[in-house]
Amino acid sequence: MDETDSDNYYYDDCDDDEANLIEEEYDDQQNFTVLKEEEIAKLQEDDITEVSTVLSISQSAASFLLPQFNWSVNKLNDEWFADQDKIREKAGLLEKPVVQFNLDSKNQMITCGICFEEYEYESMSSAACGHPFCGDCWRGYISAAINEGPACLMLRCPEPSCRAAVGPDLISVLVSQQEHDRYKHYLLRSYVEQQSKIKWCPAPDCKYAVKFDAFYGTRSYDVSCLCSHSYCWNCTEENHRPVDCETVRKWILKNKDNSQNAQWILVNTKPCPKCKRPIQKNQGCHHMTCTPPCRYEFCWYCLAKFESYSVRCCNAYRANGADLAKMELELEPNQKKLKEYLDRYLHYFERWANNLSSKQRAAESLDELRSKHIEKLTEAQQYLSELELNFITEAWQQIIECRQVLQWSYAYGYYMPEDERLKVELFEHLQGHAEYSLERLHKCAETELQPFLSSEDELQEKFHEFRIKLTGLTKATKDYFDKLVTALENGLSEVAV
Amino acid sequence: MAASQACLLLQKQLKDLCKNPVDGFSAGLVDENNIFEWSVTIIGPPDTLYEGGFFNAIMSFPSNYPNSPPTVKFTSELWHPNVYPDGRVCISILHPPGDDPNGYELASERWTPVHTVESIVLSIISMLSSPNDESPANVEAAKEWRDRRDDFKKKVGRCVRKSQEML
Repeated sequence: MDETDSDNYYYDDCDDDEANLIEEEYDDQQNFTVLKEEEIAKLQEDDITEVSTVLSISQSAASFLLPQFNWSVNKLNDEWFADQDKIREKAGLLEKPVVQFNLDSKNQMITCGICFEEYEYESMSSAACGHPFCGDCWRGYISAAINEGPACLMLRCPEPSCRAAVGPDLISVLVSQQEHDRYKHYLLRSYVEQQSKIKWCPAPDCKYAVKFDAFYGTRSYDVSCLCSHSYCWNCTEENHRPVDCETVRKWILKNKDNSQNAQWILVNTKPCPKCKRPIQKNQGCHHMTCTPPCRYEFCWYCLAKFESYSVRCCNAYRANGADLAKMELELEPNQKKLKEYLDRYLHYFERWANNLSSKQRAAESLDELRSKHIEKLTEAQQYLSELELNFITEAWQQIIECRQVLQWSYAYGYYMPEDERLKVELFEHLQGHAEYSLERLHKCAETELQPFLSSEDELQEKFHEFRIKLTGLTKATKDYFDKLVTALENGLSEVAV
Repeated sequence: MAASQACLLLQKQLKDLCKNPVDGFSAGLVDENNIFEWSVTIIGPPDTLYEGGFFNAIMSFPSNYPNSPPTVKFTSELWHPNVYPDGRVCISILHPPGDDPNGYELASERWTPVHTVESIVLSIISMLSSPNDESPANVEAAKEWRDRRDDFKKKVGRCVRKSQEML
C-alpha cells in the first residue's frame, strides 16, 4: 500500500487546478470537454461557415436556418438537398423579392407601412421580400423583438402576410451595438441549449459549457467543470453513481413533495410535456406554446400535442386520461398503508440526507486540512514534509466520494422492489459493509489527526502508526465501495431472481 | 422618443378615422388629453347573432406602440368564446410578437407594427361573425356555442338588447 502511494506522491501532490488540467489533458479516457464562451462561439462560427459554404447561402441565412434545425449541420444538409424549396419556404429565405418598385425616377417617395410617413426609397430598408420600411420603424421593430427574448432569432418581415426572414445581416446594420450584442448572445445560447451534445454548467454564475463527447473509459456521465463544480452531465444534478438519473429525478421530486414550494408548483403549474419545465398559466387560451428553445405546442387541459388547425376536443371525461401531476397526489387509499409507506420513506430519506450533510462537512474538513492543518502539522512535526502528508488528503477525498455513493445508494434502496428478497439482501449486505468501513475511516480521519496538530513533542513513531491505519482504511473502504458500485450498476445480477 | 412616435402615429390614425369613417365601428378618445386610451363602439355585424348590438370597448396602447400591441377590453357585456368574462379580447393578432416564436402559425395571425386601429377593429368584427372555439377565452361560451347553440343564441340576444338599452 505504501509503495503504491509513494508512486503517486510527486504527481498528485500539487493539487491546484493547473496540475489537474495537465492530468486531464493526458487522460485520453475523458468523456467530456469544458468550453469557454469564446470556444463555443468558435464552434458555432465553424458550423455557420460550413453550412454557408455547402449550401451556397450567406452566413446570415445560415445562422438563421441552423437554430431551426437544432444546430444539426447534418440534418439541415440532408433536408436542404432533399427539398431546398420547402426549407426556403418554411424558413422564409426568399430568392427574389415579392414586391418591386419601378424606380424610373430617382428619389421616388414611398410610404412606410408602419408610420405612414413618406421617405425616399433609397433611405429605406427591407428584407429579401422587398417590403420597405423606414429606418426608425425597423429599429423599433427589431429592438422590441430583441427585448422580447430569444424568439428574435426567428424574426420575420413586419408585413402581416410576409414570412421573409429578418436575419443577422439586416439586424447588425440597423440596431445599436448593445442590442446587437444581446442578439448575438441569444444566438450563442441557442447554440448551446438547442443541441444535445453541449450543456451549460449548472453552477451559479458559471459561464462555461460542457460538451459530452462519448463514453470512453467509463459509462458514466460524471463531469467536472473548470469552475470546479462536479455533476452528472446528463441530468445536471450532483454526481450520483451508482444510481441512474431517472431514479435521482424521482427521488428529488419526492423529497420536494413535502415542502410548500413543491406543493405550490404541483397545484398551480403543469410540466411542459416535452421539456418538463413547470408552466404557470396566467392568461390566454388553452393552446400553449412552451418558451424557446422548447416551443412545444400542447393543450393545457389534456397535455396532448396541439396539431395546428385541427379541431380537437378533450372535453369528455375519461377516467384514465386525467393529468399525471394530479394522479401522483392521489396515492395511498387507506391510512395504515400510508403510515407504513411514510415510515419506509423516512428510513431511506434520513440516511440519504445524513450522508449528504456528512459529505458536505467532509468537504469543509478537506478545505480546512489544505488551508490550515497541513501547515500546522509540518510545523509541529519537523520530520514531516508536505509531500508525505498526501495520504490524509486522499483519505478525505475518498470519504467525500464514498459519502456520495452511500447517499445515493439509499435512494436506490428505496426504489428496490420489496419482493425481490435476494437482491435486497445482497444489496443490504454490500451496503452494510461499505457503510461500516466508511464510518471507521471517517472517524479515524476526523479524530486521530488532532494530537499531532498541537503536540510539542515529536511523535514520529505514533504518526507512522496513524499513517498505516489511515491508508489501510482508505484502501479497504475504496474496495468495499467499488464492489457496491459495480454490483448496483450491474443491477445486482449475481443473484438470480 | 419611442413614446412620441406612438403619439404621432395614434394622432394620425385618429385624424384619418374622423375624416374617413369606416363602416361598422366608430372610434374616439376616452379622454381628450390621453391619446393612448381609445373608446371604440363596434356595431354588431349584419347576418350574425350580434346584429343590432352596439358594443363599447376600450383600446389601451402601450408606450412602445406600434412595436407592441394594444389590449382591447369590452365594457359592454359580451358573450363570445374569444372574449374573457371580464371583457378582454383574445385574438392572435393582439398577442405580443414573442408569443409565436416558431412561426408555424400563419404569419398574418401575429402582431406586427403594420396593424392599425382599423385593422384591429376589423379583426374583432370578423371574430364576432366567426368565433374560434379552438382556443377559447371563455370556455363556457365555447362549449355552448358548440353543443347548445340555442342557449348560446339566447345569451347573445340578451347582450344585444342590453347594449341597445345603454345607448
